[in-house]
Amino acid sequence: MRTADERVWAGVLWASVFLGLAAVWMALQYAPGEPHMGLAQRILYVHVPAAVAALLAFATVFLASIAYLRAGRPCWDHLAAAAAELGIVFSAVVLVTGPIWARPIWGAFWRWEPRLTSMLLLFATYVAYLMIRRYGSHPSQMRRTAAVFGIVAFANIPLVYYSVRLWAAGQQLHPQRVDLCQQMRVALGVATAAFVLLFFLLLHLDVRLRLFDDALAELEDDSSLNQTTKVEPGDGI
Amino acid sequence: MTGWWSTVMAILARDVLSEWRTRERLGPMAFLVLLTLLVFSFAFGGEGGAGTHTGPGVLWSSFVLASLFGFAWSFVEERENGCLEALLLAPIDRGALYVAKMLGNLLFLVGVQVLALPVFAVLFNVEPGWHLLLLVPVCALGAAPLSAVGTLFAALASDQRARELVLPLLLLPLMMPVLITAVAATRAVLGAGEVRDCAHLLAMLAVFWLVFAAVSLMLIDVVFDR
Repeated sequence: MRTADERVWAGVLWASVFLGLAAVWMALQYAPGEPHMGLAQRILYVHVPAAVAALLAFATVFLASIAYLRAGRPCWDHLAAAAAELGIVFSAVVLVTGPIWARPIWGAFWRWEPRLTSMLLLFATYVAYLMIRRYGSHPSQMRRTAAVFGIVAFANIPLVYYSVRLWAAGQQLHPQRVDLCQQMRVALGVATAAFVLLFFLLLHLDVRLRLFDDALAELEDDSSLNQTTKVEPGDGI
Repeated sequence: MTGWWSTVMAILARDVLSEWRTRERLGPMAFLVLLTLLVFSFAFGGEGGAGTHTGPGVLWSSFVLASLFGFAWSFVEERENGCLEALLLAPIDRGALYVAKMLGNLLFLVGVQVLALPVFAVLFNVEPGWHLLLLVPVCALGAAPLSAVGTLFAALASDQRARELVLPLLLLPLMMPVLITAVAATRAVLGAGEVRDCAHLLAMLAVFWLVFAAVSLMLIDVVFDR
């Protein structure tokens, strides 16, 4: 018998599968091709939704870090860690699909273009976040350090964007305004919804797994405590 | 508020006096900057015209590396002699403690910059002129956001097991906007960019400082909550 919570998440799973399949069909069949870019333009339906999901993940790290510092409950820390991992995965998708699109359009896999460079810096920042979690000392200290970093890193995002835009002003190659037709907009919306749902689903599963890990560690601690304090008959006590 | 500032000034004066007596921080930081300038000079083949192009990047990279050492030292020393615990036990505002340490770090970093700039000018063949005076606000406003965020993370990393690794991991990704803007401002002053852009860049550095200092002040109670 499923609980109400499980039924909701099963619904999210099926919705994300349905939207994902619909997005693939829309990106390849429903949306018309772009006359100048050709087939490469269709990478937009992965690139942009992945960027949206990555930014959503980084915002989640920020909010969960604030919640952890206020409430001190480990579940908020788990949420921040899981969101950071997913943010790294989605930003890696952006960083891989960007150059694949750029090769035929810009003539090079990589240009130090403001938005791509900003995403690279965000990727590096959140990889550092995970490394801090890995190399921190005591768990509570590590969690506090990671939470502070998660907050400052999010406050840093607009600074990164503006400074990179200034640094690479001559390299501004991203389309600043894209006129998409109705079908393209619908396809992009469906793909974005699929990525966002996938993000929430993976986030839920990751946090649940971390909570199970905690419960298991607690049980192991209890059982080792019982073993060490167990008194056998004839021990002379 | 007067009491708050007198606390800041008392801790700052103690840091300056301690440095004056021991010279444990300024000397190694300045030498680290010099060594980094030399390493980059050799790495770029000692090109004569490198002053305006690669020079600003090299200069700020050396400041960032030296600041990592300086920020870490500002708390490691305090921890080792138990002074930080005593300061945290004292009935003083932790924001005042943070501001004092931040101003101390800023002061020492600016001191290192003052020592390093003439050496940089010689090694990278910078054209002399009054326009170089603009480097003073550029260096000070570039060092300010570094000190703001660096002090916060140095305090956090000081009680970590692998603090030598944790501090660069914390700081380097977040220093990128400051580095980019400070290098652009230095390049503008040295003649490779537009000097009129400098005011805009200085304003950006001031905004970075305000953002980092405000966020740090909001978080400092959590950081010092041991």
